Amino acid sequence: METLSNIGRELLKTFKLLARNKMGFVGFFIVVLIVLLSFVGPFIWPPEQSANVADINQGPSTKHWLGTDFQGQDNLFKLVNGGRDIVITAFLTGLLATVIAVCVGAFSAFVGGRVDSVLMEFVNIWLTIPKFPLLAVLATVLNLKDIISLSILLALLDWPGLSRQVRSQVLSLKKRDYIEAATMLDLGMRNIIFRELLPNMMSFIAIAMIFTMTSAIYQQVGLVFLGIVPYSGANWGVMINAAQRRGVLFTGQAAWSIIAPILAIVLFQLGLVSFARSLDEVFNPRLRTGV
Amino acid sequence: MSALTSNFLVRRFAKALFTIWFVATITFFMVRAMPGNALDVMIQDLTTQGYSPQDARDRAAALLSINLNQPIHEQYFAYVGNVLRGDLGKSYRSPSLRVSDIIAAVLPWTIFSVGVSLVISFVLGIALGTIMAYTRDSWIDHVLSNLAATLEAISPYLIGLIVFLLLGPVWKLVPIAHMRGALSPGVQVGFTSEFFVDVINHVWVLVLVYVLTSVGSWMLIMKSSTVSTLGEDYVTAARARGLPDSRIITAYVGRNATLPLFTRLAIQIGFVVGGALLVESLFTYRGIGFVLAGALYERDYPIMQGVFLIITIAVVLANLLADFLYGYLDPRIRIVGEGN
Amino acid sequence: MLATLSVQNLTIEYAARRGKVRAVRNVSFDVQRGEAVALIGESGSGKTTLGLGLVQLLPTTAKITTGSITYRRYVAARQNGKSQPVREIDVLALGGKQLRAYRWQECAMVFQSALNSLNPVLRIEDQFADTAKAHGYLQGRALRERAYDLLQMVRLDPERVWRSFPHELSGGMRQRVLIALGLLLEPQLLILDEPTTALDILTQRNIMDVLKELRQKLDFSLIFISHDLSLAAELADRVATMYAGKIVEMADVQTIFKSPVHPYTIGLINAVPTLVSTKEDLTSIPGSPPDLIEMPTGCKFHPRCPLADERSRTEEPDLVSVARGHEVACWHWQTSREALQAFKVSA
Repeated sequence: METLSNIGRELLKTFKLLARNKMGFVGFFIVVLIVLLSFVGPFIWPPEQSANVADINQGPSTKHWLGTDFQGQDNLFKLVNGGRDIVITAFLTGLLATVIAVCVGAFSAFVGGRVDSVLMEFVNIWLTIPKFPLLAVLATVLNLKDIISLSILLALLDWPGLSRQVRSQVLSLKKRDYIEAATMLDLGMRNIIFRELLPNMMSFIAIAMIFTMTSAIYQQVGLVFLGIVPYSGANWGVMINAAQRRGVLFTGQAAWSIIAPILAIVLFQLGLVSFARSLDEVFNPRLRTGV
Repeated sequence: MSALTSNFLVRRFAKALFTIWFVATITFFMVRAMPGNALDVMIQDLTTQGYSPQDARDRAAALLSINLNQPIHEQYFAYVGNVLRGDLGKSYRSPSLRVSDIIAAVLPWTIFSVGVSLVISFVLGIALGTIMAYTRDSWIDHVLSNLAATLEAISPYLIGLIVFLLLGPVWKLVPIAHMRGALSPGVQVGFTSEFFVDVINHVWVLVLVYVLTSVGSWMLIMKSSTVSTLGEDYVTAARARGLPDSRIITAYVGRNATLPLFTRLAIQIGFVVGGALLVESLFTYRGIGFVLAGALYERDYPIMQGVFLIITIAVVLANLLADFLYGYLDPRIRIVGEGN
Repeated sequence: MLATLSVQNLTIEYAARRGKVRAVRNVSFDVQRGEAVALIGESGSGKTTLGLGLVQLLPTTAKITTGSITYRRYVAARQNGKSQPVREIDVLALGGKQLRAYRWQECAMVFQSALNSLNPVLRIEDQFADTAKAHGYLQGRALRERAYDLLQMVRLDPERVWRSFPHELSGGMRQRVLIALGLLLEPQLLILDEPTTALDILTQRNIMDVLKELRQKLDFSLIFISHDLSLAAELADRVATMYAGKIVEMADVQTIFKSPVHPYTIGLINAVPTLVSTKEDLTSIPGSPPDLIEMPTGCKFHPRCPLADERSRTEEPDLVSVARGHEVACWHWQTSREALQAFKVSA
């Protein structure tokens, strides 16, 4: 319970600091907006069931803010209805990968010695393997059908790089006095990690998780693009795919049916990244780039 | 070469070999013993095409160059032996084609386009990152930093799509449709100007996309690395010795600031190759990513297996090259390599 | 004869977030030809900033607000018998090419962090060649012969060092390489900033011996920056103690040790162990150096000074001459020695 309230206090502090950082606030706002629209939007603007021949291939207008596609369906409606799966997958993957990475990284840093060097050597080798092709091949072989199993697969591929960062973060925290004192008092590894270390690493973990989320967005939309995960319905990746199969890229007709989902994904990724970067700036004032 | 140097190289080489073995093993079990058993899917699929169950089984085994009647560990050794001989089986959809031949035909195009792009974006990233560091907190730095951060955040194939849209239908600058493939039909490979012009005509948009997707992170890393190098005492000391700025920027700041970038090469190469899978499909450039995308779509397991293995080997070798270059550029690494 | 280097009323300020850091305040001193001057002070006393100011290598946040630095170039006087300045250089007016030529040809500086002052990716050979090339000095074989001589002079094995990378040399070896590099272009002035700080006691000894030997063999002036008064005693002709960016006492080395009058200098000397001193005699100065942004009023040393009175707290004393070649900035210089002695006994 105490851990939770510690984490809560950290989050509150984070939020207050962030309100002062312009870029970060804009990023945060965009992310919240996209998440809200994706979850609440479908109730307000339900997906259109039928084609609307009178309105096909239109550009943005007051009637259709983001234009219409080749079936005359409103792009904004489709956009609002197509974000949920992407948001859920990104969040689940970020969460799972971060949990695994924190456990393995902290364990490795605490145990040290041979276990640590073997684990880190494994991580180094893992990072040499091109991740997206591996993901694509595995997703094909496993024949994934739902977003939960896709998230699990993404997380299983994504945690190693993160765990290396967690490890070095833990190693540097470990040298601080209060952790050394706790170690000396023999409070137990689990206790030290969850009570002392984690609350101090919250900002770092949040940043790492956000970066994992953006890479998860890239990967899942990439899989949709390759036709490996056959999502049904109006997913942003499916929208791009459908528009592309209609030759939008060559003809330029109904260009907004492809521009809209591209913009949505780009905004989501940029929002997440600028939020994470400002978190990084707030908590690590020394100039840093990325995680 | 000193004993220390060769020790470092030997270690790196051993690690590269281990990685390749590791991936080869993954690919074996991927098809043979993963949930969703690919082999069963393939056999079942063949059965629906009219083969008897036994025929389908034999055919699948023949395509993968393994003998399904052997115990699994013997199959594994046979597979490793095949890989060592360069036998990657035959295509499932076009059984007359050997996987190794298919790969050999397209691999050079991918190595060429990705290699050129990596070099360009590495050099460009270093140059722009250096400028950002030297002009830090000026408007130039702000513009470049924001650009770099934006480029780094956007997925490679989204950048590909945007480039496609802008160059094609929006600005009507380039006949994108004629750029399909790595070469125009009828152009012969050879030392002719026609060949080179055609190669460049087909590849430059891809190179542009790869550079745009990877230059941002090089810029940001180079900037932070240069900023910290500028604070090093040997840079102040070099200025105290009256060395010209050009020499200080290159041999003192530049060379030291570039070193940490080499440790990121591994991840970046993998990233660009991963992007190639999407970008080559988007531009229908007949490289290995395009072939893999096709194999994934058609569930052509032997090709998937072979291509993934070859991609990994190529990336591992590229990393080995980067490691050697790093060892050559940083004399200290020779001692690090020796230490345990 | 006019001094090789004359510093007049030099003030250097840093822009920091909290305000201005006044690192060097109104400092004046001369360095005569062939003379060794030691600048002694605790860290934060402004001595390193002063050294960097002399070669115009201050960080961009620092600014020289007042004062002048005049450097005079003499030809080798032994050859033509004259000792008139050949050239007078206004160091603060230098820029571009002239500044680059002034650095190292006229005035070479060996930095505090000797361990990190050599480019890690270049061989010693290349770092000599870079320096020579930048100044149109010897090349190739001739350069190597000259460098070998210098390396031998600093007691290094030239064969071993010449083709090495910095990380292959020990700290003491790197420091000696830097000294040899400093003397390469026969500068008239060598500035050594804490040349022995990061080194163990034996290496420190070795470097000091090398420096003494070089001073006998070669003709150059020396500015020796250190926190260690005992090292200064070995090498310097004249000693200046600095406190809070200001020179508070300056005299020849004998006077500084035999009859110092500034309480800070006296404190520094009491902190130096000697062969005859007992443990009880050794005292360190209580307190810590002042905050350079919000400095105390009056004499900057008053919060740590047992002799401080109302005047010390309100008015800052200027440097005044108390004997020939002996200057001090203290309101109590006439009575300080006795008063401090009494203070110590009563305590």
